[in-house]
Amino acid sequence: MSRRSSRRDFLTDATLLGLGLLALPRRAHAFGEDGAFNPRPLLTGRSSFEGVRATAPARWARELVNRTSAPARLAPTPVRADDDALWSEPFAFLSGDAPLAPFTDSEIAHLRRFFAEGGVLFVDDAAPETGVFSRDVKRELARVLPDAAPIALGTEHVVFRTFYFIRRPYGRLEGPPKLEGIVRGGNAQVIFSSHDLGGALAQSPGGMWSVPVTPGGEVQRERAIRLAVNIAMYVLCSNYKDDQVHAPFLMRRRAVDVQ
Amino acid sequence: MVRSWALSVDLSRSLAYAAIALALASLLLLIVELRRRQRGGGVVVAATGIFATSLLSLAVLRPATVMSRGSMVGPRLIVLADRSRSLDLPGDEGTRRETLNHALQRLKAAAGQARLRVLGFGEGPAVPWDPSSPVDVAPAVHSDLGAALASLAALPEERPASIVVLSDGRLDRPGEDQAGAAVQDALRGLRVPVHTVSLAHTVVPDASIRAVRAAGAAVAHQPLPLTIQIGCDGGLSCDDLTVSARELIDGGPPALLASGIAHVAQGTATVELTITLDRAGSRIVEVGIQSPSGDTIPDNDRRLLAFDVARDRVRVLHVAGRPSYDVRALRMWLKSDASVDVVAFFILRTQGDDVNAGEDDLALIPFPVHELFSEHLPSFDAVVLQDFNAQPYELLQHLPALARYVEHGGGLIMVGGPDSFAGGHYAGTRLADVLPVALESATTSAAFDLAPFKPNYTDVARSAPALRPLRSFNGDALPEMAGANRVGEARPGSSVLWTHPKLRTPSGAPMPILALGEKGDGRAIALAIDGTYRLAYSALGSETAGRAHAALWDGLLGWLMRDPRYEPAQIELEHGCLAGVPLSLKVRPLPGSEGALNVEVAHLEGRQVVVRQQPKTVKGGEPLIIDVGKLEPGGYSARVWVGTGPSTRKDFACERGGDEWADSRPDEARLGDIARSNGGEFLRAADAGRVPLPPATEVAVERHVNPLLPSWAWTLLAALSVGAHWIARRKTGLA
Repeated sequence: MSRRSSRRDFLTDATLLGLGLLALPRRAHAFGEDGAFNPRPLLTGRSSFEGVRATAPARWARELVNRTSAPARLAPTPVRADDDALWSEPFAFLSGDAPLAPFTDSEIAHLRRFFAEGGVLFVDDAAPETGVFSRDVKRELARVLPDAAPIALGTEHVVFRTFYFIRRPYGRLEGPPKLEGIVRGGNAQVIFSSHDLGGALAQSPGGMWSVPVTPGGEVQRERAIRLAVNIAMYVLCSNYKDDQVHAPFLMRRRAVDVQ
Repeated sequence: MVRSWALSVDLSRSLAYAAIALALASLLLLIVELRRRQRGGGVVVAATGIFATSLLSLAVLRPATVMSRGSMVGPRLIVLADRSRSLDLPGDEGTRRETLNHALQRLKAAAGQARLRVLGFGEGPAVPWDPSSPVDVAPAVHSDLGAALASLAALPEERPASIVVLSDGRLDRPGEDQAGAAVQDALRGLRVPVHTVSLAHTVVPDASIRAVRAAGAAVAHQPLPLTIQIGCDGGLSCDDLTVSARELIDGGPPALLASGIAHVAQGTATVELTITLDRAGSRIVEVGIQSPSGDTIPDNDRRLLAFDVARDRVRVLHVAGRPSYDVRALRMWLKSDASVDVVAFFILRTQGDDVNAGEDDLALIPFPVHELFSEHLPSFDAVVLQDFNAQPYELLQHLPALARYVEHGGGLIMVGGPDSFAGGHYAGTRLADVLPVALESATTSAAFDLAPFKPNYTDVARSAPALRPLRSFNGDALPEMAGANRVGEARPGSSVLWTHPKLRTPSGAPMPILALGEKGDGRAIALAIDGTYRLAYSALGSETAGRAHAALWDGLLGWLMRDPRYEPAQIELEHGCLAGVPLSLKVRPLPGSEGALNVEVAHLEGRQVVVRQQPKTVKGGEPLIIDVGKLEPGGYSARVWVGTGPSTRKDFACERGGDEWADSRPDEARLGDIARSNGGEFLRAADAGRVPLPPATEVAVERHVNPLLPSWAWTLLAALSVGAHWIARRKTGLA
């Protein structure tokens, strides 16, 4: 990746370098890991979170910590949809590549309260080639949130600029050019990806990537990681980048990018 | 007993006069008849005719003697004496108040039998008042003659024969134009003459601020145009006068808001100044002019105006050192409140982060620390520093300005985290002085404690209005926190609401976790944890569907912004404050408050406490009247607190003369108009004894009526005399 430094960004660098931040020890990110981004896999029915993608949440957390100031739990543990622990944090990550069993009444009730309290769910279809998982999740979420339907989230949505500028979503597959989401109260509370983001993030214990990324190879994997970082930032900051004070600056920069 | 005559025993006066008129007409006809006839015997006919007509009339009227006993009652006279502060201004000889006493003495001396009732007018209805009484009665801050006259017209008692107004003519109501007609309206059909007596006619050399008018209500951060009218009279030489508007700041020198030059022409000038008040609540603005040489009343060269500054929206600067669930929860709450404008800056990337991208691929902007904390800081109502390290981002150099911002009325919340409080390099800085807890320099590891704990409520917290919304959901229950910043002792005057169950301050007291404090005009909150989001996301939070988190921050930001819902009491001034006049405060504690209510009044500028009242017991939120005593001119801050809880305050101003001294010129023209339009006379004080008085009225207490003759006797005599007349007419050939 290019590390060009433009005149516009001088202030950032001056601010940080000028104070010798590099000399400081790595900071504590929170009191323990409390309040840190936690990409908890969500388990429903009798499902379990295993296989090659089981390492994806930890990689997601690690990439966030390495690339940003945000704290993250480096060893996320799954949470069951009918467990009260679902309500203890505002984020969960639902991934799968097979048909999804219907939610139980308890799961529906727990998820309903999770969304009522402002929770965000990221749904990652690990087998977008079939689309079965996405279809089943949408069917079940329609039972949880009957008043809302998924809509396309194009690059105008804030999730595409919460940290990186992203022109389209990528995962293990190139997939469709847009994400989908269920937007409630102005916030995307469910984000659907048909790109197998978990596949692009999964690593073996030896540090090798577990799943090849096609067709873009490692460049595409990097873009997938950036999408994961942006989704984490969206969870942590919501629509911070849509704030008016940022909008003019970001709009100017985007115009430069387009040229 | 007095003996007198009555024309008739029972006929009304009009019927009696009709009977007499009929008799006279009969006699006239008789004379005409006798003149036309040529024969003799006219004398007899005339004599019998007159006799018969008279007796017939007396038979109809039946006159009587009246024996009565009674007394003379003088006319009822209402004297309305001006009891406003303007009477302490110089008059023709001494003060106008002295002239009032002399005029009243003259009036009483000349009153004779008149029944004088002396009332005072100033604010609202006329009230019984004796200007010469040694009892210390506060002068009125207004001179509302219209309200006093209207109250007289509404009284269900004997209407006065006339009204006498003693005043210098400088009235609030009626105004200068159409004063006479306005008085007629005020009297509402009570048609009595209104006499006016002027207490002064000499215009003394005086320059003053006659009026300050604001174009609309004062709203924080919004420019407010002021129209300032300046007067210069009495032969004083005023060419160009410098006019300035300054805000009185708690604990500091006044801050200049605007200034201009007044070009005085024909004794008057008008200046427009635009001021901007950044802090909401009661604010004192001093508008003043340079006193020209020879000014006999320098006290009215400056006005102290209390503005109740409203807040359109709360502007909050939210700065966070890193994004976390706690930051997210606070941001979501701030953004959910339509009355809050949030400007947020989160540090998303540090130099140690490997973004693996070029700068153009990053949607990041530089943190404009200098711009924010120098140029834009006053435009915010509150600043939230959440887990933000002051050192790496060059905030250290702006901490003195941030401290001044708080002292001048801004709000500050420091939210915990590893980079907050001592861990954020705030110890030993100017900002640490405005926090409600002490900070001690510490290594990073000692700056916080990572043992999980549940904060404890203090007794103060259980009665603190700021935590009432939260306690309405959770009572004393709080979720477990992952750790806490280490902070020191609570500063004197601050209120500790939550404490750590194990950690102690150097004095051995439980370490504060949540503390509220005031510094100067502003307020600050120290929250030494980074887990309030657990009020929304935890087993406890799920019981309230996350509303407990919003309830906590509603209370904290509301208290910071002096929202009346979170103040321990409401403070009102019973009347306006005039220097040297006893002042009373009406304090309304929040319903349900109980404990000792403390009151303290201090100078705004020097913060010297001038009054400290003994605690009074509050029960059930009943309002209390607090006698403050007499104050000197200036800006003051009244602070009230219940028990050891957080305090509330109200800033107010005391002036020597207030509105009543703004224009020292007597207004005899207005008094003359009032008298002319209401059938009265205008007099000067020296002629007060010449006020026209209506005559006294006799009031009978005993009355006996005795007919001169019984009715039958009058009838018999009338019949005989008519018969005699008829015979005389027949003998002389008349029909």
